[in-house]
Amino acid sequence: MTAFALAWRTARRYRARAVLAVVGVAVIGALNFDMLMLSHGLLISFADLVNSTGYDIRIAGTAGLPLARQPIDNAAALMTQIRALPEVASVAMLRTATAAAIRPDGPPEGVELMGSSDAAGLGLWRSLTGSNLDIAEGDPSLAPAVIARPMADRLKLAPGSTFSIRVRLSGSLSAMPAIPLRVVGIADFPFESQGAFVVATTMDGFRRANGGVLSDQAELMFAQSRPASGPDAAVAAIGKLRSDLRVFSNEQVIANFGKNAFTYFRQISVVLSTTTAGFSFLLVATLLTVSVNQRLGEVAALRALGIARRKIAATLLWEAALLVGIGGLCALPLGEVLALVLDRILRRMPGLPAGLHFFVFEPQSLLLHASVLIATAVVAAIYPVWLAVKLPIAQTLRQEVVS
Amino acid sequence: MTIVEAHALTRVFPMSAGPVTAVRDASLRVNRGDYIAIGGPSGCGKSTLLHLLGCVDTPTSGAVTFEGRDVGALTDSERGRIRLTRIGFVFQRFFLLPMLTAWENIELPQAEAGVPAAERRERTRALLEYVELSGRADHLPSQLSGGEMQRVAVARALANRPALLLADEPTGELDEETGEHIAALFDRVHADGTAIVLVTHNAALAQRAKTRRIMRSGVLQ
Repeated sequence: MTAFALAWRTARRYRARAVLAVVGVAVIGALNFDMLMLSHGLLISFADLVNSTGYDIRIAGTAGLPLARQPIDNAAALMTQIRALPEVASVAMLRTATAAAIRPDGPPEGVELMGSSDAAGLGLWRSLTGSNLDIAEGDPSLAPAVIARPMADRLKLAPGSTFSIRVRLSGSLSAMPAIPLRVVGIADFPFESQGAFVVATTMDGFRRANGGVLSDQAELMFAQSRPASGPDAAVAAIGKLRSDLRVFSNEQVIANFGKNAFTYFRQISVVLSTTTAGFSFLLVATLLTVSVNQRLGEVAALRALGIARRKIAATLLWEAALLVGIGGLCALPLGEVLALVLDRILRRMPGLPAGLHFFVFEPQSLLLHASVLIATAVVAAIYPVWLAVKLPIAQTLRQEVVS
Repeated sequence: MTIVEAHALTRVFPMSAGPVTAVRDASLRVNRGDYIAIGGPSGCGKSTLLHLLGCVDTPTSGAVTFEGRDVGALTDSERGRIRLTRIGFVFQRFFLLPMLTAWENIELPQAEAGVPAAERRERTRALLEYVELSGRADHLPSQLSGGEMQRVAVARALANRPALLLADEPTGELDEETGEHIAALFDRVHADGTAIVLVTHNAALAQRAKTRRIMRSGVLQ
């Protein structure tokens, strides 16, 4: 009979202890797995979000405070200059404003209005129901709008509906007239917070909403580098055009995010995953030690019968591996469910982009989870194994009889 | 032919209250065909002497020779190999593995000794028949009576066809009638050519041995 078979039979024989260990490891392992997913999840999710836009360069102005950055001036001329660069394939701009959606049967609803020079949407909205801004159908006198799902649900709007919005001017009562928009599509806006009311329209629609007069500015510009040049060369070329610009490739944006905003999550996850691994070790080591202590007579008798120390050690190692292995496997679905619940709770934080997730599964997490558990099983078995192989046979047998 | 020979064995256990001499200058020779019973009051050193003869303990002074080899000069794994293949142990508390069936308990030391599977099956079947437990092969120890467990333990001890069977109070946990069955089993084992050394309080069992020795205060008389 192999050491594995003996370990398996032992686990089956002492079912309550085995189940206790497996459940304990599964719960602790699930937490550990979640911490490992958290350690990189936000960064992976952020990278996915940024890379999904179809543009690999972001351009912002430098003026103003970081949280209240001023728009880029002379935007039209800058667009022309950037478009002319040999390193750049395409360029687009985004304008934003706060506005109110006028409801015939209720108070106005605050919305964020976006004007996009790219009718395909700059990658800022997804999972479109209906059409995009470049649709030619419908009344051409009404600007097309793609609106966020929560807004469509709340205001009962569907493709083909019309509604009016009025742009709000910061710090004053708005004197802007309300303009009608026709809904052409309903979409998710992953860069906006969950439940946000967002209206995206063309630059022409944005101008109309602003009373037909629009300053030559842009809140953000997006560029796509040519494959032959790559984003770094394009970033350098755009940066040379004007000194008042902040130009980043997606890679740089993600790297900055990883260095700054993400550090806290990584530190928390390292501390918590180390702690949970410690708990796994304590649980398995305690249960195995108690188990060996309960079976000292049995172990001494096996040694007296000539069963080799290495077989007894291997049996205990397999026992630890079985308990931790089965518990670790159970931890995966449990961790996934727990991660979904925790992710849902964390994503309720105000202002967080809807497309951002804290817990993201990646093969590396699974590999690390398995490595941590294997190490835990081995370390947890060291003391019980030492206890079993080093016990004095004659003395133990005598004590067993006396007791 | 001598199987095991103990010469001037002394075993001292260091204790916090002072050293305790369990066996004092004991000498014993066990030859093929011997059946020796060692009696004596509790704590007189009988089990310690048995452990020394069975290579599970080492003497403080003196020497044990097993089939001509000085046990004191052997490594731990060499002593383990002797215990596995040349000595059979029967314990007062049986010490069967509770998660294995009677069959598997008997098969375990054979597998450890490298006996081929087909031969293991044949030996195990024969041993179960020998101890009259063929019908209980698939029973766990918890499903057996005390006497049945001890019979399985005897079968396990004989699994690798040892030259010497050592038994430490083999009837200590059994009632008189069951003890009598075990004693009869020992008679058969001895008659089939295995040397036996047993320590016992059971006078009836001791009476069946060819040689009876008494230990008092660690001295073998």
